[in-house]
Amino acid sequence: MNQVVLTGMGLVTGLGNDVDTVFRAVLEGKTAVRTMEDWRKYNGLFSHVAAPAEPFDEKILPRSVRRTMSRMSEMASVASLAALRDADLTAPALNAERTAMIYGSTTGSPVVLEAFFNRLAERGGPEGQLGTTFFKVMNHSVASNVAMALGFGGPSLGTASACTTSSQAIALGWELLQSGLYDVVLAGGTDELHYTTAAVFDIVGAASRGYNDRPERTPRPFDRDRDGLAVAEGAAVVVMETQAHAKARGVRVHGRLAGAAYRCDGVHMSHPQTGAMAETMRMALGRAGVEPSAIGYVNAHATATPVGDVEEAKATAEVFGERARVSSLKGHFGHSLAACGALEVAMCVEMLRRQVLLPTRNLENPDPECAVVDLLRENHPASFSAAISNNFAFGGMSTSLVILSP
Amino acid sequence: MQSDEIVQRVNATLQEGFEIAPEKLVPDAHLFQDLELDSLDAVDLMVHLEDSLGIKVEGEAFKDVRTLRDVYAMVERLRPSNA
Repeated sequence: MNQVVLTGMGLVTGLGNDVDTVFRAVLEGKTAVRTMEDWRKYNGLFSHVAAPAEPFDEKILPRSVRRTMSRMSEMASVASLAALRDADLTAPALNAERTAMIYGSTTGSPVVLEAFFNRLAERGGPEGQLGTTFFKVMNHSVASNVAMALGFGGPSLGTASACTTSSQAIALGWELLQSGLYDVVLAGGTDELHYTTAAVFDIVGAASRGYNDRPERTPRPFDRDRDGLAVAEGAAVVVMETQAHAKARGVRVHGRLAGAAYRCDGVHMSHPQTGAMAETMRMALGRAGVEPSAIGYVNAHATATPVGDVEEAKATAEVFGERARVSSLKGHFGHSLAACGALEVAMCVEMLRRQVLLPTRNLENPDPECAVVDLLRENHPASFSAAISNNFAFGGMSTSLVILSP
Repeated sequence: MQSDEIVQRVNATLQEGFEIAPEKLVPDAHLFQDLELDSLDAVDLMVHLEDSLGIKVEGEAFKDVRTLRDVYAMVERLRPSNA
């Protein structure tokens, strides 16, 4: 078994664009969620809260690569450059045959897709479409655009599983590093804000509608008065490598990825399955060789949907028992979809490093159905060396990542 | 549309859409060699020019265009006759 370590992290979020700033913002209990006044005009959209990313400097990327990027690829590229810098690596210095990039997003650019189809309908055909449009909406747009931005010429893959996209990329990266064929994997995910992304959840009753004028009070994971998620945009990227490779080049190690698993429940597209969630957690623990009792913190996916939070809490209790210390960071960040898995890994690494547990924001009155584990409601100093980060997505997807102190 | 207006609009398109510095926009500038555009950019340039100048660049119209001067001439040729 190859030991896998995390040596680089890069973020673009609604709470800042570097790990330290972001972590401090969460420690201070800040939220990135705000009212999207412009969204009130859309017929049939009732959720008007979301978390836009903080400004970032896309101009550090040359126009020749930016021309085929939508905002999501720009954020992922900026985050990737930061992650590589953090890992003391550059793309040309990597052995391209032994390095893989795994990146994804929920869909191709929703902003560009809307413009494409609007013009298509307006013109009655493809007249007047830009040549660069397709490269912003194809499924591997982010993977290819980030490779261009980095000048990376090795294997590139695109995971596509909505809210588990980046956690699945990390889990797949862990598997690739086990194969002995690779030394380094860059893994991450990104999504850009668009009202249709909120609509996807709003239509099925999973987006927050009741706090449009009090955006700081939603989402409310595990809370009695939760009413759904608030979508966010951003990018999160991690650099993973075999311990031997990291040691040989003498780089600082942020944390270890001891085990990882991803599964599909094969039962229901939108209703989470407690048993399948628990099985994924057990599979990751088994691969990590870590007992449930050794896990000092569980980072929950919990997006504040009425059903999802309950099923997840039950699954977590089933594996870790009622004393498991659990929080979700969706109350701070909103739900950054394809980015959230890697973002939450970065936050777990920082919690382990600083020996403090972050709470669930907006959790005031725990829902009795969710209070089957120890739901953290304030910053909590802790002595712990192992955490697990769980994520779930429509389509029956689930991922679990076991993270250890260096 | 007068000739100087054509120059102004084409140059504005290149500045705004392709981030080319105004001092580079001289008539003899070669689109690919001097302005560092490529075939993918050329497709988008035509679409932007169609949008901003109300022209229709069909078939072979762009085939022999090499320099900025050629672009101005092409637009001049294609502009609506009543302009």
